[in-house]
Amino acid sequence: MKEKIILSIVTPEKVYLSEGKVDFVALPASEGEMGILPGHISFVVQLKDGFLRYSSEEGEEMFAILGGFAQVDKNKVIVLAEGAELTKEIDEETARQEYQKAKDALLAKGADIDLDAANAALRRSSLRIKALEIKGKQRRRKK
Amino acid sequence: MASLRDIRRHISSVKSIKQITYAMKMVAAARIKKAQNKILNSRPFADKMEEAIKNLYTEMGEEDFRHSPAFKLFEKHEESNVSVLIVITSDKGLCGSFNVNVLKRAVIWLKENKDREIKVIAVGRKGRDFFKRLKGLNLSIAYELVGIFPKASYAHAKLVTDNLFKLYEKEADSVTIIYNRFKSMMSQEIIRNKFLPLKRHFMKTGDEAAKNKFSDFDFEPAKELLLSSLLPRYIKAQIFKILLESQAAELAARMNAMEAASGNASDIIEDLTLKLNKTRQTMITTELNEIVAGAGALEG
Repeated sequence: MKEKIILSIVTPEKVYLSEGKVDFVALPASEGEMGILPGHISFVVQLKDGFLRYSSEEGEEMFAILGGFAQVDKNKVIVLAEGAELTKEIDEETARQEYQKAKDALLAKGADIDLDAANAALRRSSLRIKALEIKGKQRRRKK
Repeated sequence: MASLRDIRRHISSVKSIKQITYAMKMVAAARIKKAQNKILNSRPFADKMEEAIKNLYTEMGEEDFRHSPAFKLFEKHEESNVSVLIVITSDKGLCGSFNVNVLKRAVIWLKENKDREIKVIAVGRKGRDFFKRLKGLNLSIAYELVGIFPKASYAHAKLVTDNLFKLYEKEADSVTIIYNRFKSMMSQEIIRNKFLPLKRHFMKTGDEAAKNKFSDFDFEPAKELLLSSLLPRYIKAQIFKILLESQAAELAARMNAMEAASGNASDIIEDLTLKLNKTRQTMITTELNEIVAGAGALEG
């Protein structure tokens, strides 16, 4: 039988994937994307905001990841992300609205706006929109 | 003696109070399950994080560690007179002694540290209002976060931690946190905890086998940098856990308080109904007496 990677994706709010068997994982490492196949060397890596892809027998999945860490130990990969979202679950309309709202909030810079919160919202929504763009491209390619 | 109408009015007002308290109890009971699940869901992340830090620390060795930027989270600042206090209360009342207990503990702490400058991070409206009213102390509210319960999320933990680090890096030499821990549905426990500087021993595994396990690992970026960005995340996860604990404890406290209130309302209604019936009977008896007496007078 072919070797598999055991992948777990964990965030503080939810366990997204617990020990799923996959064939290939690509991580958004801090110094560029990193592909992992079974038998990869053990390492610990910091992640930046970006996309995590993996392919298994059921097909390919993509997650939007908000910073974090990944630990690869023999064929076990543990991703500790601050936030994660399955890209196919992102709703285009809400993502755009949120992006606009966060941008407006930052521009308005009223007395009582929470700058940190608005920045975080902007970061999250821009990642979402990026995810949608990539998804759009993939769809066009398939056609 | 109170008239029948007065008693009836009293009964109906107690009844509507009972309806409200009962509804609040049901709402709290429904939410508490969710809050408990959230605590459970946050656990794997915190555990894995701790494991990763332990591994990294064992791998680094004492010498490297002393030179890493993460080291300052473990050491007291020299010659500082500023302490940070984090107090987590609820936003809304009607939850029994939940807030009172926390604030009492906070006052004890304030007495112990009254000659120091105190910066408060207040989470929850009740706590913030309390500290705003306090006078005559060298105390200021450095950061406040209100209106987050019962929907505390990781983003909130992040806001608290970011502000905490700002304070800690600048001036403070210690951080204490006071909150309610969710012990069971029936009871909460007040926890007072010295949060920073971090205790070193939590990173020690005491397991010699672990030492070799990591020796063939690669790191990107370097270990020291990795540790210094891992630790803040670990603290964030801790704060997040505490927020969730407090949230669940608040709901449990409210559920119990409202259950007791509904019970008391039922008792009052019972008493009042008895009183109502007695009054009614007295009135009937008096009336009958009058009629009988009147009839007797006519016959005579």
